[in-house]
Amino acid sequence: MLAFALRRAGSGLTLVLVISVLAHTLLALPDPDVGRQLLGPAAPQELVDEHNAALGLDRPLAVRYADWLAAAVRFDLGHSWFTNESVTQSLANRLPVTLSLMGGVTLVTAVVSFVLGVWAGVRRGAVDSAVQAVGVIGYALPSFLITLIMVIVFAVQLGWFPAVGYTPPGVSLTGWLSTITLPVLALSVPAVAGVSQQVRSSVIDVLGRDHVRTLRARGLPFPRVVFRHVLRGAATPALTVLAMQFVGMLGGAVIVEQIFGLPGIGAMTVQYTTRGDIPVIMGVVMVSVLVVVVVNLLVDVLVAWLNPKARLS
Amino acid sequence: MHTRAPATPATAAAGVALLVLAGCAGPPGDDDPATLTIGTMTVPQSLDPADAMGSAAPYFQAVYDSLVRREPDGTYAPMLATEWSYDDTLTELELTLREDVAFDDGTPFDAEAVKANLERFPEAGGGQAHTLEGLEGVEVADEFRAVVHLSQPNRALLYYLSDAAGFMANPGSLGDGLATAPDGTGPYELDPGRTAIGTTWVFERKDEYWGEPLPYEEVAISAFDRENALVNGVRTGQINAAVVQEADQQSVVRSEPGLESVPQDIDYQGLILFDRDGHLVPELADRRVRQAVNHALDRPTMLDKLVDGQGELTDQVFGTETAAYEPELDSRYEHDPERARELLAEAGHPDGFDLTLPRMPEIVGEPMATSISTDLAEVGIDLEWDELDPANALRAVFTDQAYPAMVMNNAQPAEDWVTVAELVLPGTFNFLGTTDDTVGELVREIQNAPADEAAEPARELNRHLVEEAWFVPFYRLTYQHVSDGNVEIEPQSGAAAPSLYNYTPAG
Amino acid sequence: MSAIDTASRNAPARRGAVRRFAASPRAVVSALVLGTIVVLVALAPVIAPHDPNTADLGRAFDPPEAGHPLGLDPAGRDVWSRLLHGGRFTLAGAAVAVAVALAAGVPAGLAAGYRGGWFDTLADWWFNLTMALPAMVVLLASRAVLGPTVWTLMVILGLLVAPSFFRLVRSTVAAMRGELYVDAARVFGLSDTRIMGRHVLVVVRAPIIIQTALVAGMAIGLQAGLEFLGIGSGDLPTWGAMLNEAFTNVHRDPLLMLWPGLALGLTSAALVLLASALRDVLEDRGAPAATGRRARSRATGGPAPSVSAEDRTALLSVRGLTIAYPHDDGSAKQVVNGIDLEVRRGEILGLVGESGSGKTQTAFSVLGLLPEGGRVEKGSVTVDGQQIVGAGERTLRRLRGSTVAYVPQEPMSNLDPAFTVGDHLTEPLRHKLGLSRARARERALELLRQVEISDAERVLASYPHQISGGMAQRVLIAGAVSCDPDLLVADEPTTALDVTVQAEILALLRSLRTERGMGVLLVTHDLGVVADVCDRVAVLREGRIVEHGSAERVLTAPEAPYTRDLLDAVLDNTPARGPWRPREEETR
Repeated sequence: MLAFALRRAGSGLTLVLVISVLAHTLLALPDPDVGRQLLGPAAPQELVDEHNAALGLDRPLAVRYADWLAAAVRFDLGHSWFTNESVTQSLANRLPVTLSLMGGVTLVTAVVSFVLGVWAGVRRGAVDSAVQAVGVIGYALPSFLITLIMVIVFAVQLGWFPAVGYTPPGVSLTGWLSTITLPVLALSVPAVAGVSQQVRSSVIDVLGRDHVRTLRARGLPFPRVVFRHVLRGAATPALTVLAMQFVGMLGGAVIVEQIFGLPGIGAMTVQYTTRGDIPVIMGVVMVSVLVVVVVNLLVDVLVAWLNPKARLS
Repeated sequence: MHTRAPATPATAAAGVALLVLAGCAGPPGDDDPATLTIGTMTVPQSLDPADAMGSAAPYFQAVYDSLVRREPDGTYAPMLATEWSYDDTLTELELTLREDVAFDDGTPFDAEAVKANLERFPEAGGGQAHTLEGLEGVEVADEFRAVVHLSQPNRALLYYLSDAAGFMANPGSLGDGLATAPDGTGPYELDPGRTAIGTTWVFERKDEYWGEPLPYEEVAISAFDRENALVNGVRTGQINAAVVQEADQQSVVRSEPGLESVPQDIDYQGLILFDRDGHLVPELADRRVRQAVNHALDRPTMLDKLVDGQGELTDQVFGTETAAYEPELDSRYEHDPERARELLAEAGHPDGFDLTLPRMPEIVGEPMATSISTDLAEVGIDLEWDELDPANALRAVFTDQAYPAMVMNNAQPAEDWVTVAELVLPGTFNFLGTTDDTVGELVREIQNAPADEAAEPARELNRHLVEEAWFVPFYRLTYQHVSDGNVEIEPQSGAAAPSLYNYTPAG
Repeated sequence: MSAIDTASRNAPARRGAVRRFAASPRAVVSALVLGTIVVLVALAPVIAPHDPNTADLGRAFDPPEAGHPLGLDPAGRDVWSRLLHGGRFTLAGAAVAVAVALAAGVPAGLAAGYRGGWFDTLADWWFNLTMALPAMVVLLASRAVLGPTVWTLMVILGLLVAPSFFRLVRSTVAAMRGELYVDAARVFGLSDTRIMGRHVLVVVRAPIIIQTALVAGMAIGLQAGLEFLGIGSGDLPTWGAMLNEAFTNVHRDPLLMLWPGLALGLTSAALVLLASALRDVLEDRGAPAATGRRARSRATGGPAPSVSAEDRTALLSVRGLTIAYPHDDGSAKQVVNGIDLEVRRGEILGLVGESGSGKTQTAFSVLGLLPEGGRVEKGSVTVDGQQIVGAGERTLRRLRGSTVAYVPQEPMSNLDPAFTVGDHLTEPLRHKLGLSRARARERALELLRQVEISDAERVLASYPHQISGGMAQRVLIAGAVSCDPDLLVADEPTTALDVTVQAEILALLRSLRTERGMGVLLVTHDLGVVADVCDRVAVLREGRIVEHGSAERVLTAPEAPYTRDLLDAVLDNTPARGPWRPREEETR
């Protein structure tokens, strides 16, 4: 167990390190002219050069990375070059927003996808066609269109939810719910479309397996067989897809966060990367990798729980 | 618990986790009449006055006072300085200061503070540092009198002292700390607990303020990435006030009942021809070629289609509130492809020439790019657009000087000299340093004339520049100041962002 | 089964796939829509009425008119022409993404799955890393380096989705690596590349095609999303760019959003539909008539039983049973054709036949558990006097376990791998007999001992993968008899086991019959088994009973030529059928 934990931690650490090198190189390659962007067209060149030098941009890439790493291991991710915000503080402010979204979407997606997928897989026929149609529509509509329509209808026209902004649960739980409901629903549409198809497909697969017939031959009620045995068998592949959705959402949240004016990680990604705010984006990258590592670990634990065979290896 | 665990990385991580779960406090309630929530797309680089920019003025006005206050109509009024006067050479400005102002830590605001702030400003290397170029020093005449010494007259000095350069910070705090912990004499103070830099800033009214307190107990500024979200926020009343620039969003705002909107012509949009001496594109050295470009563009159609008619056609770079402004110059160059071709032929380019211009999609959208290249092709000019990476666009244009011209949106402050300094004097937008005898003479005249005699040479300069076709302006853009009906907004002359003083509760 | 056999079996399967494809309305419609779009877009230079970039700003936003069927865009360009030309870049972009993802993911997945070892470890690590990279950051940064074109974005996207292909191929290949026919092919001396190309690729083909359609749809959708974020595709008129352009003018001309939105939506929808149709076609899921509660009763329902329940004193009575699998085209394949059977209490009836003779289908029909798509067309089945054909789920559930029980063929696949042996045994006890948890456990231990498992406590706590095949079969038998049934349906209960275990299991069945007076329907292909335990024998061939009589008589003096052939085969000591193969081949 200890060896397993160590190996796991080791591979996670290597992943973080390699990704930080890759990300840092990739971000520095376009050689963003931070000084010029900040000081504007009017600033004389010497001033721009001075500013860039003050940020260390005149030094070799490897040195800059080494500096970043040396600070990062002390939990110091530096300050934004463009807004002066502390990266750690900024991530601490923004992460709850994005995690609220991702958690909400995962919950909604898991529940709805399993209900729809099991329903379609067991009943087939018209129900199946309907669920598949929902999936196709969810896939086919560009997600920002769905989001924009939801804002106009439910926030602006009906006024059921706020159109923009985020209220932390610590300030008001109902406020929090009302601010994340629409974004969560908007993000859930494509996620449900994908995951429910996977659940349906796995359920059909498991239903066709021998042990299901044998269980039914024992006289166990069909619903019981479905909920106790089929669901568990179908859960593993569905879980993998759900996890991939979750990880993908770190990026997918960009559009939704922008449209709802949510101060999350996604919303900052585009602008900060475009400008070349390396300290901030490195922070975002590190948080993303950490989330991925944690999610993968959780999935492994869940799969082991669902599937005893995986426990041994 | 028996023993206290030492702070280890693990407990630190747990702390971070708690912080994550709890989140930070959010912006205050939106429908609270004591609170003003302003939505904006502008995020300040820091709250250090050295980094101040006009577009982010409200952030700074909350926590700092400026030496001179600029009224909505562009005139100057006392603020931290109660009186000012130039000497005859226009190189010495004597400021008389308020005597009852102190910083939060008790440090009095005095001539020493002015000296420290003004002398630091050009040194600190902010984006507006060039506005105090030529500052020789500040003399402390007595405790509340300071004399600003210039190497040559700066006709826009008062403007600058009402803008970025004029914000006065506690001289004891001048340094890095100001970036996130502003320390000024302003009417509000930053609430760091509820501020999340980059997204939300919350300012609370100070109990003790030397002047008339502003009407709101609390001001929150929320930054947005998309104007669409901003407008939705105003429509649902979560945002009290905002400036709307996109044509389509303007039409939403205008048609939405319950919203109040005030139009204002702020920026002009157009081509700045940098290469009037023909370094990159020799053809542009000929005035007739530049005039031909002006004649080639179908401005009325552009105005109608690209910005939904939200603006005024113009052929000059000086704004309507400047002394240099001449209404008839707005229609100097009719859309006349025939005339353009003639001019090109006269200049010896009957077959036109090739032109490559930089394109930043946020300024030049696809439709504008296409329409300009179609119009130019009509007269024989073959235009190619280079789409630039935003992080390096300014470097390509201003450092590498790789392009002969660029489409820009430029503000039109009421002060003539601001436009002269930025667009005409060698430097910023005239980085190739074009000039001619007429320009040189008129600029000298404007610079040194007594205030009431500067208007005529300014007008003359304007006429000359239009005739020489230094620029290819398209139109002045109309923006909408929109409020949810609870706030009255008075636009600020020459600035897209109204001053913080211009917001009052409606009714 | 040899490798050659397997390979040659794939050819007809492929032809079958084409026929199934043509028979699926979903597949045909989506392929038609996609085909139409591709043709239109490919012919854009010929059929587009205008140059996509020629602008007449004065006519921007003009409504549709002659020559401009969809009107003009915000720059005064013809929307229809831009839609056609834009489709080329949109689709070509998607093609680039797919090609890159395939090129990066499939070979690596094949090699990693087939070879394993260090390459597998390394490749897996690399693709995990790719997945952990924040996609948006990578896209934006790469775009800044490589230039703002749709091609850059699509190449990067391809690299970012390559892991999905890698994982798919790797796990599929790894799963089949140990399978018999690949081993066999190796024995035949085929080179690895040949095996990879001829056998392995054939297996991963279907999931790859499906994934390709999905990734293409995703790439198209992503182009639009990126445009929306201002991460544009340069000056190319992609559908995403058009959609975003329309969005920035949505209040001035909402209709402009319709056309690129429709083009995008139709294409994505067609791709997703095609993927799901292909999945059914290639993985041979067929569109079954239906199942579910309604469908299940239909499957066993069929026409009213032709024989009344009178004179049905036997424990099991099968009269004129006909089972068929309807095809999509309305015809039906009959797998059992009007057979009669009877099993009395304390009697073991052997149902003998080759694979595909319909004996397993007969066994399933006795349980009311025909596989998906199968139905009883004619005839009746009664167990202890109760009609099975057409009976409701409630009746069947009551009968199953306590009146009629089932011992399957392959022990391992018939135990749910996620539950312990104890769970398998106690669940029916508690549910059907209402025993308490402790009582059920006691009874389960008792049952295990009855089927001669000495280490009952340990086995009870074991998971299926932790016990041997013989042990698992005993567990299944213990489960089958746990609720004291009258009739046991045993489908090749010994085939998957080695010879000594076979004998023990048969002895067990015999003793259960004697002790409990159970009737047994023993489905088998093995005449040795018949000789060992059966009282009577029915020989089944192509769905019909060709011979029926006491075991002794049939084995010593067979009347039907077919029975003689079977017996000769046993005497020649060649097995009548090969070793056990996965169930698909048995039931389908």
